[in-house]
Amino acid sequence: MKDKKPLKYATLYLFLIGFIVITLMPYFWLILTSFKHRVDAFAMPPKIISTLTLQNYFDVFITKGLIKNLWNSIIIMVAAVGISMGLGLPSAFAFSRFPTKHDSILLNYLLGTKFTPFVVLALPLYLIMSRLNILDTYLGIIIAHTAFNLPFVIWMMKGFFDSIPKEIDEAARIDGYSWFETFLKIDLRLAKSGIAATTVFCAVNSWNEFLMALILTGRTTKTIPVAIPGLLTPRGTLWGQIAAVGTVVTIPVLIFSLLVQKYMVSGLTMGAVKS
Amino acid sequence: MKTRKLLDYRKLAFNFHFAAFFVLSIVTLIPLAYTFRLSLFDYQLSKPGSLNIFIGLKNYKVLFTDPGFYKSLGITLIYVISSVSLEMVVGIILSLILHQIPFLRRMFSSMILVPMLIAPLVIGLIFSFFTNPQFGLYTHLVTKFKLPLPIVLLDKPVKALVTLIIMDVWQWAPYMTLIFLAGLQSIEGEYFEAADIDGCNGWQKFWKITMPLLKPIISVSVLLRAMEALKEFDKPYIYSGGGPGNATEVIDLYTYRQAFSSFKFSYASALCVVLFVLLLILGRIYQKFMMNKDL
Repeated sequence: MKDKKPLKYATLYLFLIGFIVITLMPYFWLILTSFKHRVDAFAMPPKIISTLTLQNYFDVFITKGLIKNLWNSIIIMVAAVGISMGLGLPSAFAFSRFPTKHDSILLNYLLGTKFTPFVVLALPLYLIMSRLNILDTYLGIIIAHTAFNLPFVIWMMKGFFDSIPKEIDEAARIDGYSWFETFLKIDLRLAKSGIAATTVFCAVNSWNEFLMALILTGRTTKTIPVAIPGLLTPRGTLWGQIAAVGTVVTIPVLIFSLLVQKYMVSGLTMGAVKS
Repeated sequence: MKTRKLLDYRKLAFNFHFAAFFVLSIVTLIPLAYTFRLSLFDYQLSKPGSLNIFIGLKNYKVLFTDPGFYKSLGITLIYVISSVSLEMVVGIILSLILHQIPFLRRMFSSMILVPMLIAPLVIGLIFSFFTNPQFGLYTHLVTKFKLPLPIVLLDKPVKALVTLIIMDVWQWAPYMTLIFLAGLQSIEGEYFEAADIDGCNGWQKFWKITMPLLKPIISVSVLLRAMEALKEFDKPYIYSGGGPGNATEVIDLYTYRQAFSSFKFSYASALCVVLFVLLLILGRIYQKFMMNKDL
């Protein structure tokens, strides 16, 4: 019985490696292409080895000016995440510490908001914003991103606050802290890692978001995902440049998300399943 | 004393909640109310002054007899049901494997979850590039190894839809894997020890212990994924553009086009309301699961 184990493990590892190689191949292909010269990128049969270049990155970000869209994405992401965290943290704390009989209604409302298709919110927001003249402004898209990030922050952070023992708050209260001070000085500090994870997940949601940005941003505020389709032209698409943008959009997300991988399961299920 | 504390709590709760819910209701309730109101009008960009023409439920009447709507809804349902069930199966298999390996589990999980972190729009691009009939690596591999797979993927409705489903599975099977793995790790070893004593084989253990214990987690994640998949937009938008014809025009894309290609804002609003109600029903089921089941 025991001798069977090594063989079994070897099979499992081989299967996993094979699976990962096959599934990640298209992505690595994209990254590789972003560093290739134009001739090599379109060679048939495809060339794995080629002299590497940063030309594509230079062309698309500097010459074509997509650095501006990158910057837009960063501004919108930081503001949307900042607002959602700023508003969401106190509310999450209240759900955890001051339960009232209306809580379930409020929590269901949050879930409903989270599950609303983006197009359902983006269409009326577009019409309202065009009347208020805030289409193609940072304000407009930041508001829209807050609509889906805020419920997420509250649900996620509620779980993290729930896991902090209430006795700690009581001790702080006896020391003369007001509830607000307890929240700011004690609980926020104790929920640090939860805050970090929630921030990353919100930032990724905002950064990757396409539909709302497509509808609500314009020439001056286009985010980087919205700028991508513009590179697909009928007159010969420059795939090297698109690959460069794809690489720049995805790499930071990978790095930050893997840093908070421990919390990913609760993040993905809005706290329904604990990791 | 008790009531005093409750009153205090209510005031505190109000103070802590106020800002969040004030902002949230402005950014969600007002747009939703506006959509509903607009769906009762006849607002189209091509008709000047149509913003104020009240037509009651006519948009809904049109909608429920619109073959385009039913087709798009059908495509969406096929898309959601096939992708989510495939994701579930792949997720179960991968999580069982990851659960059994003795070391490097964390590293393998990290590599497996990469696809779901990539922006959906970029996934569409990756696949456009990968399966490009002229220079795509996929094309090259299929020709070189004479694989029984089609080279041109976007010329026939079924092939295009299947490709999009595969893309979704590629992206989201890791999601199921990760959640199921967390579930597997929370199952107490004692159950399996007891089963060993009773002489159960691996297959019996899987069906009699693992699956029943994993069931609540599977239901929750399948429901969550289904709700997300219903909102699919990015991948078909960039990869197939809803084509060929409108074979991959999922419901979000259809709604988007009604609003921003045909500029029938009121009709699109009616679509939004229907879509919203649909999601609300699913959300209600999800919430029942979450409130009742202890995970």
